[in-house]
Amino acid sequence: MTHFANNKELSTPLATPRRDGWNLTRITNVRVVAQVFFLLLFLSFVILTTFANLDRLPRLRLWVSAFLQIDPLVSIATAVTTHTLYKGLLWSLVVLIPTFFLGRFFCNWVCPFGTVHQFVGRLSRPADPDKAIAANRYRSSQHVKYVLLTALLAAAAFGSLQIGWLDPVCLFYRSVSTALLPAPAMSLPDIFGGPRLYQGSLVIGAIVVALLAMNLVYPRFFCRVVCPLGALLGVLGRFAWWRIVRDPVACDGCNRCTLRCEGACDPHGSVRTAECLVCLNCIEDCPEGALRFGLFPSTEREVIGADIPRRKVVMGALAGVLFFPFARTSGSSTRNFSSQVIRPPGAVEELAFLSRCIQCDQCIRVCPTNVLQPAWFEAGLEGLWSPILNFRMGHCQLHCTACGHVCPTGAIEAISVEGKLGLGEAAAQGPVRIGTAHIDVGRCLPHSKNVACVVCQEVCPTSPKAIYTEPRRGGTGVPVEPREPDASTTELKVPWVDASLCIGCGICEKQCPVVGDRRAIYVTADGETRSMHQADPDRNRGMIATAAGSG
Amino acid sequence: MGGAANGGGCRHRTKPHMHKARMWRQRKSIETHGWVLMDDHLTRRECLKRSAGAVIASGVAVWGGIRLADDTTGSEIETVAPPPNFFGKIDFPTSNPRISVALGNEDQVGRLVRSAVSGLDPRAGIKRFISQGDVVLIKPNIGFDRPPYLGATTHPDIVRELVRLCFEAGARKVLVTDHPIESPQACFRRSLIHDAAEAEGATLLLPAPSHFATVAMRNRPPDRRRGEAIGHWPILHRPLAEANKVIGVAPIKDHNLCSASMNLKNWYGLLGGRRNQFHQVIHETISDLASMISPTLMIADATRVMMRSGPTGGRLSDVRPGGLLGRPAVIASVDSVACDAWCYERLLGRDPAKLTYLELAHAKIAAQVAGGWKRINEREWRTYDRLAQIAVQRL
Repeated sequence: MTHFANNKELSTPLATPRRDGWNLTRITNVRVVAQVFFLLLFLSFVILTTFANLDRLPRLRLWVSAFLQIDPLVSIATAVTTHTLYKGLLWSLVVLIPTFFLGRFFCNWVCPFGTVHQFVGRLSRPADPDKAIAANRYRSSQHVKYVLLTALLAAAAFGSLQIGWLDPVCLFYRSVSTALLPAPAMSLPDIFGGPRLYQGSLVIGAIVVALLAMNLVYPRFFCRVVCPLGALLGVLGRFAWWRIVRDPVACDGCNRCTLRCEGACDPHGSVRTAECLVCLNCIEDCPEGALRFGLFPSTEREVIGADIPRRKVVMGALAGVLFFPFARTSGSSTRNFSSQVIRPPGAVEELAFLSRCIQCDQCIRVCPTNVLQPAWFEAGLEGLWSPILNFRMGHCQLHCTACGHVCPTGAIEAISVEGKLGLGEAAAQGPVRIGTAHIDVGRCLPHSKNVACVVCQEVCPTSPKAIYTEPRRGGTGVPVEPREPDASTTELKVPWVDASLCIGCGICEKQCPVVGDRRAIYVTADGETRSMHQADPDRNRGMIATAAGSG
Repeated sequence: MGGAANGGGCRHRTKPHMHKARMWRQRKSIETHGWVLMDDHLTRRECLKRSAGAVIASGVAVWGGIRLADDTTGSEIETVAPPPNFFGKIDFPTSNPRISVALGNEDQVGRLVRSAVSGLDPRAGIKRFISQGDVVLIKPNIGFDRPPYLGATTHPDIVRELVRLCFEAGARKVLVTDHPIESPQACFRRSLIHDAAEAEGATLLLPAPSHFATVAMRNRPPDRRRGEAIGHWPILHRPLAEANKVIGVAPIKDHNLCSASMNLKNWYGLLGGRRNQFHQVIHETISDLASMISPTLMIADATRVMMRSGPTGGRLSDVRPGGLLGRPAVIASVDSVACDAWCYERLLGRDPAKLTYLELAHAKIAAQVAGGWKRINEREWRTYDRLAQIAVQRL
């Protein structure tokens, strides 16, 4: 094979790289320990993000978002869309600054998604070392990630935050919480507290499985070709002080360095620093000790910067620029909004929401009632997998504000229970309304079937109740006797909604006994307080006059 | 191979003895390997460049991050204060007529405006209201895409004459605007107000999203039980902020929901957002606007009064010149509540005591007048009749 065209005979078989036993003096073992630690930490944070845990350990709120907060793409992209950095996002400096000196160390030392890719890639590495080496050669397709990054940042410049589709931390968080974790909950309901249901979880799960499966044909396909965070770190690592450097005199061209190269950065030739994931496998594998991770090595034999074809990057930017009007022209986030897009309490106004939500779905994970669901196209293409409430799944618990407290980007504000209910200091503002309930009098049992019911009135949690009842009257003003057997002694009450008191929590819809395609009482986004005072009529969804002036 | 680049680094920067050492190493390399070994060390220039690059990038990241850090989401909407008291800016003699009616013929609309205005102050006329260098906002009712003869919009000749009067009094700029329900361009054109205003040199302002601002009328939620409707709400703020004098020019119309659209209802056209919800609390809203906006002068257009099918009408038979007066009329006033009561009774033949928003507006303005606002507010127009403060001129 051409890879071994060098004049030297190989003294040891290629398939078994030199190993001195498993001990922590080897840097790659330290790396594996770090990777496993961060992966387990990440999974623990996801698993721990439940209402019960955060209620018991409020300090946990500060930690569960850690991986999303140290993600530099999240902080840089939200800074581009909002011109601010929300709360913990400053922690991304913890990753950003070392990147300036060490390169893409995050990818192969910290990133939990990267670790899983490395694991799957390792399992599927070809037995034939020639094939394994060929698979780890740099390929020009690796520049695709820079094009994607450009497109995402260009869209962000207009206020449309789409990094959540592909950012590894967001993508992995979303996949674990809405597609992977529900599986054990389904099989072991006693341990996991019953099944959690998520609409569209099949697609979310299929995407993550497909990305992992890509490792079979293209090792670390996601990290090398797709990952916009990796692209960002590759660009930012341009000035890195420490880099992989090869001594061409010592090197005998055996290509062993490429056998386990994670980034496909060509350590055997001109090292591509922007592609190097700092896995350090090459150093360990080199039988001649020709490779080292050196401070201020010469740049003579390396490809500095990222391989960014200018024309393609311009096309990427253009795609991002065009995405914005194309996505917004449907009006699905403004005038043509779907009344089903009911956002969690504390969510900011829709366009501001779209400039902050990274679709990590942490709010969906923490929601105690399962009412929060990853949107499909209800909120438009931009709102894919953003949180919306589905009252067939659950309802918004009156004294819960957990979603806002775990949101890493402020798409949902961290409001207090008093703030949500409009008590205490928030009394002047009134309660946070996420929507308004409506009665379908054609299907409601007392209204249309002469059957006693009013479950909705019973469960309505506001005080005074937003759902009240009146004795049912005929045209003459005389109460009509219910026709239900043995109910003639009970007065038939019919429910009505006082829109000025309704906060849209949806417990009425959840509990309504009239099932089928739609309940006899249902909540729409009308009257939501988050968009009440927008000067732009398209963004002003207010419906109820008594609520209109509040604030 | 790398010799050129290496040499490039040392030709200018390297001291002679270092250069010598490098040459020696190269020679040795040739002896050992048969080819030139590149220098494994960074050139000084490259080293400095990279050190500076990483350090500066870190510094920028820390500085930028701390600068951008913000615990809030910016979801608090910026509000503006309610517009100032435009009537308070003029000195109106208490003994002057408060309502001035001019009656004439259909071809005398311009003269009717002049007569009505001068009826309020026979000596100063328009100069009582408009001074040299003023920026005047004229707010006609251009709410619908209707031709002028149907009476749904302000008569264009009244706007024309008012713009003339303002410029005669020395106004620097005259703005004409409204926020119609239908397309502003279509409404402004069809009502002929576009042509009339432009011909006289006024600035027509087509409402754009940037012209609106959320006004904080109250810093608490409105209380329905106290007849309140507006807390924070977007209004067409830009022209109100630019002008220092405001003239309302409202046609007198029947209105299905609130009985009549006159001087006070005209301010509804300044509301932005989804204002249709205010129809649920129309009287509260009109009276809130009446207490928020205090114009310099009001002109009621009774050249053709829509007697029924309001506020849009659509048939000539719905319209009657001067309403029950039978002749085209223009009414100038400084007291919108009294003027509306007069118009309601004399033009539409209805009982002002039964008009809820008049009652609410009177109460709200009275509270402000008591609080030191310079404003005139008389619910019972007959008071002015007794005091001979209603001037009537027949042309």
